[in-house]
Amino acid sequence: MNTTISLFLLQDGVINGAIYALLGVTLVLIFAVTRVIFVPQGELAAWGALTLAAFEAGHVPGTAPLLVLLGLCCVFSDMLRQRRGLNGKWFIERGLRDIAGPLALWALCIWLAPQKPALWLSVALTVSLIIPMGPMIYRLAFAPIADASVLTLFIAAIGVHFAFTGTGLLFFGAEGSRTTAFIAGVFPIGVLMVKGQSLVVLGLTIVSLIGLYIFFDKTLRGKALRATAVNRLGARLVGIPTQSTGRFAFALGAGLAALSGTMIGSLTTISYDSGFIISLKGFVAAIAAGLASYPLTVLAALGVGILESFSAFFASAFKEVIVFSLIIPMLVWRSLVVRHSDEEDE
Amino acid sequence: MQSYRSVLLSTVLGVALMGVAASAQAQVNVGITISQTGPAAALGIPQKNSVAMLPKEVAGQKIEYIVLDDATDPTKAVANARKMIAENKIDYLIGSSGTPASMALVDIAGETKTPLCAMVPLKALVEPVDDKRRWVFKAPQDDALLADALAEHMVANGIKSVGFIGYTDGYGQGWLDEVQKIMPARGIKVVAVERFQRTDTSVTAQALKVVSANPDAVLIAASGTVAAMPQKTLKEQGYGKPIYQTGGVATMEFVRVGGKDVDGTVFPAGPVTVAELLPDSHPSKKISLDYIRDYEALNKQPFAAFGAHLVDCASMLFAGLKPALAKGKPGTPEFRAGLRDGIEASKEIVALHGVYNFTASDHAGLDKRGRVLVKIVNGKWTLLP
Amino acid sequence: MREFSSAPLLWLGLILAFACIPIVPCIPAFWITLWVYIGIYSLVAIGLVLLTGVGGMTSFGQAAFVGFGAYTSAVLTSRYGWSPWATLPAVVLTAGVSASLLGLVTVRLSGHFLPLGTIAWSISIFYLFGNVEELGRFDGISGLPAFDLFGVSLASADRVFYLVWFCVLLAIVVSSNLLDSRMGRAIRALRGGSQAAESFGVKTAYAKLTVFVYAALLAGVAGWLYAHVQRAVSPSPFGVHAGIEFLLMAVLGGSGYVLGGVLGATIVTILKDQLQSVLPKLIGSDGNFETIVFGILMVVILQVARQGLWPMFARFLPQPKPQQIHKSAMALPRRPMPDKGRLILSVEAARMQFGGLVAVNDVSFKVNAGEIVGLIGPNGAGKSTTFNLVTGVLRPTAGSIRFMDSQIVGKLPREVAALGMARTFQHVKLAAQMSVLENVALGAHLRGGRGTLSAMLRLDRSEEASLLREAARQLERVGLIEHMHKPAASLALGQQRIAEIARALCLDPCLLLLDEPAAGLRFAEKQQLAVLLAQLRAEGMTILLVEHDMDFVMKLTNHLVVLDFGTKIAEGAPDVVARNPAVLEAYLGGVE
Repeated sequence: MNTTISLFLLQDGVINGAIYALLGVTLVLIFAVTRVIFVPQGELAAWGALTLAAFEAGHVPGTAPLLVLLGLCCVFSDMLRQRRGLNGKWFIERGLRDIAGPLALWALCIWLAPQKPALWLSVALTVSLIIPMGPMIYRLAFAPIADASVLTLFIAAIGVHFAFTGTGLLFFGAEGSRTTAFIAGVFPIGVLMVKGQSLVVLGLTIVSLIGLYIFFDKTLRGKALRATAVNRLGARLVGIPTQSTGRFAFALGAGLAALSGTMIGSLTTISYDSGFIISLKGFVAAIAAGLASYPLTVLAALGVGILESFSAFFASAFKEVIVFSLIIPMLVWRSLVVRHSDEEDE
Repeated sequence: MQSYRSVLLSTVLGVALMGVAASAQAQVNVGITISQTGPAAALGIPQKNSVAMLPKEVAGQKIEYIVLDDATDPTKAVANARKMIAENKIDYLIGSSGTPASMALVDIAGETKTPLCAMVPLKALVEPVDDKRRWVFKAPQDDALLADALAEHMVANGIKSVGFIGYTDGYGQGWLDEVQKIMPARGIKVVAVERFQRTDTSVTAQALKVVSANPDAVLIAASGTVAAMPQKTLKEQGYGKPIYQTGGVATMEFVRVGGKDVDGTVFPAGPVTVAELLPDSHPSKKISLDYIRDYEALNKQPFAAFGAHLVDCASMLFAGLKPALAKGKPGTPEFRAGLRDGIEASKEIVALHGVYNFTASDHAGLDKRGRVLVKIVNGKWTLLP
Repeated sequence: MREFSSAPLLWLGLILAFACIPIVPCIPAFWITLWVYIGIYSLVAIGLVLLTGVGGMTSFGQAAFVGFGAYTSAVLTSRYGWSPWATLPAVVLTAGVSASLLGLVTVRLSGHFLPLGTIAWSISIFYLFGNVEELGRFDGISGLPAFDLFGVSLASADRVFYLVWFCVLLAIVVSSNLLDSRMGRAIRALRGGSQAAESFGVKTAYAKLTVFVYAALLAGVAGWLYAHVQRAVSPSPFGVHAGIEFLLMAVLGGSGYVLGGVLGATIVTILKDQLQSVLPKLIGSDGNFETIVFGILMVVILQVARQGLWPMFARFLPQPKPQQIHKSAMALPRRPMPDKGRLILSVEAARMQFGGLVAVNDVSFKVNAGEIVGLIGPNGAGKSTTFNLVTGVLRPTAGSIRFMDSQIVGKLPREVAALGMARTFQHVKLAAQMSVLENVALGAHLRGGRGTLSAMLRLDRSEEASLLREAARQLERVGLIEHMHKPAASLALGQQRIAEIARALCLDPCLLLLDEPAAGLRFAEKQQLAVLLAQLRAEGMTILLVEHDMDFVMKLTNHLVVLDFGTKIAEGAPDVVARNPAVLEAYLGGVE
């Protein structure tokens, strides 16, 4: 192994790490606000890639009817829960938001898809199809048990993961897809040959992270989200509605997942079940950072990516064994360093 | 629901035992457990889609097919098999899509003396033909048969060394074992062995290592669209020498996803894969064309070679049906024993993936008519002589 | 076995009826196979109930231990020709040793790190199984022998059914025995955090490891059964998805209840099987809706029953009898009490620095036997830090603390407790779902010595009776005896604080440390508390209390120590201290 190979491996690790970082950061975000460890994040990313692939092939993606279905489920479950206060206005309001909106998107897809829309338009459509799924899933699965223990919420997230995997198989089939690169071609940087798409991934990740930083630091909504993350009860007392911040966190998470999905689609083959292991690695990074710090999550994600790349080089059959075994000493170290009260989860 | 049906079933059985209603000719029950979900879903789904195309009646004998999904889980596959044996009194078992699940079924077949047709290439399923494996037949080509075809092609093209990139699972393992046996025997050195996950986001590191070993050719043992990833990565690393794939890429999806990077790829496959290109003299050509036409008409999607294994399993059943009926009624141990003997004794079973000739010591049964070499040229498959 | 205590005949009947399943003619054969699998999964789920539901440690890695058990037996039978029976000790050994090693590293992990740790090693062990030549790599090992009992093969489901469910029954009995014991209370107390348990002498790391290994052993035995029922092993049933499914069984069934594990395993297994045959009839096409419906059902069940399904189910069963207090049980030996007026605690120039911040600045004070000493001061005065120094939670940067003639600097809380110091907490730390009696009995942990094994085998009954009798005695002393069978969480805050005092008294302490006992109490409750403390003093108890409430302290204490900004500013009799200008300054803050 020489320096060139090391540099190549490093580059590969950083690109993979950037994807894990984006998913890891959104996991931290969603956890901080809602205490849900949102495992299906990876499925949303996979759906992003598969939706984009469908547009490129000129098909209407399965996510379009799925969104309508989810909207119907939302209205239905709200009806069951609300019972009282159901009137015409309520139905018109919900109908417009949860059913008419998705239907309009579906119609748009049916109209645009056969014309094979331009890349930017496809990406925009993809992201706008996936974003509403976040809050809808929150309303359906998590809002009714928002104050349950972390473990209960986690098991519910696993349930959603199962349902999503099945849905993905149903709507997209078992075969994987690849999308075309945002920027085709390869650029020489020093001794390295860097794929254009790698630069896109890196660039978009950095932009998203900066965007998140500005959002949390400068905007009222972001501050409200942060306040909820620090102290849920306190936030409620000063009039920040935790339900709507929860929905917002899920929307943000879904948006970032869709975006990262559209980016990785051209780097690798994505199939309906690719998401789990990707989000698991983002999850590893998020937890290594104590499910609290965004910069640490990014660092940990890069670490996982690089570790993976190097162990794939030295002993590819044992790659996962190496990556996941090395996580344990890291966790031990983290758990010694972090003054973590194990009493807060009860 | 189930208990209701079972109660009904046992009542019917009870009545039959009393000897009141035994006049109607019993139907042959075929139990199928395949992986419609889970990691082997890409194999299981076309297999499932092929079930509807099987004839419901052969030579005047009614045949019923029961399909269960095992989610690529051996535990579930065994439970499915036991369920169908106990509840549906199946005479013939087909399954499963993945290797570990199929391996686990072998014991069930031996224990319950039910003929089993497996749909994975692993040789150990039918070799050696012992007390258990007497009951097991195998539809797909041995990895060895296919690897040998590749080795032949490599030797003819002056390739002296080969690098291997394969899945970290049973599929990759099966190929790797054969490659390490057959290639050196043909004078080809295996200079690099790398593995990767079906769900990996990158194989750059593995490709780098293979490229740095600089073999004369690379063999990729992966399936479906994922198999395009290592090949694309190798091309990105500037690797320009021949690349071989396995039968796992015999779908048009692979060409679609791989684009121009997979041009020139050579892979072995069963004859059904390239039915149109087969010479008219090939025994599998006509039935293959019929199968593909019907499959695509019925399912509105391109066919995949995995589904054909299921049809071939059924062909074996039909071949053994007549001698079996002479031995006993469907649902009886005599019928199952007769079916086993009948399949073993059949000669020249013409099927989609070739022609089967079983013997008491060979339950794989395919010969060179069961494999072809395909080369991708300009996004189209072409047959290599 | 308290679960079965109230209606033993009913339970016996249920068990016998269950045992008849394989011989009832109209039960289809496949259902027996299904019940065999349910039994195997139940073993794993019972282990998880103890680990996650009771001990508070979430594990996704149980499937790996099932794998260890299965592979051990598979290798020994297929390669070395052992009988499946002979491999059981080896299975127990492999699962036990691997769990001890993994547990030593992972149970120390705190918070979210633990579940991640279990995911990490379950993934790496999965790939290890798949890459080791001797284990048949990804294809696994097949053709394993079935169990064989005196020449009768247990290959068929209706026979192996009895073996599997015998194991399950044994696991239920042993697990409930364990929970209903001294060690069981220690394990159950872990869930509320380890600080309280530790301060009553529980070696929490050891208790965690014990339950971790126990859960792994159950999983290993499940693997052993699996290998010879399935007759083939391969890595895929032991991956992280299987681990998640086991956890799902425990949570869905009700992770706090041993029988919840069995219920969860039953529901998940039957659901998955039945969905496959029911859905195609409902939806018309047999697509792949099972996973979807299964996932949705999971979420719905959690929304309807957050504690799992067992509590809903248990309503129709006879409630277990509350613990019996045997008045005849032997009284526990008591430690000799120090003579009145003797010096028992002396803090000399204790100093605590956090980086540059001096939280406690060379504070000295003394406590004599038979006194109530108050440690007071405004917010941030360093009271709690001083308290933590005395109880061994923090180690002072400098200075000396002597208790009953021993230097306690550098000692752990549980070692300090063993010397006869008992404490309460500012934020009540009772195990919410455990009864008041059992919470209090935890205080007597150090006065018993029976361990895990004797608890499982029920050899600890006479000691257990003594411990419970002591707990009841202390509850009587503080006036909570009528509440002893209620769950701790159902008490009012004032009562919970009193229960904490009873728990501390169970330690048979010579010094009682109370951390803000009056905080959050209503006036009447404070009055009652003051009466209780005065009565304890009259009985010869020595008390050191940290308090905020001047009024409360003034009336009660013999001696006051006043801290401000980490420094002692005054000391003496309450009425003297109350007139001290420095104290007034500190409390009223620069009133000129």
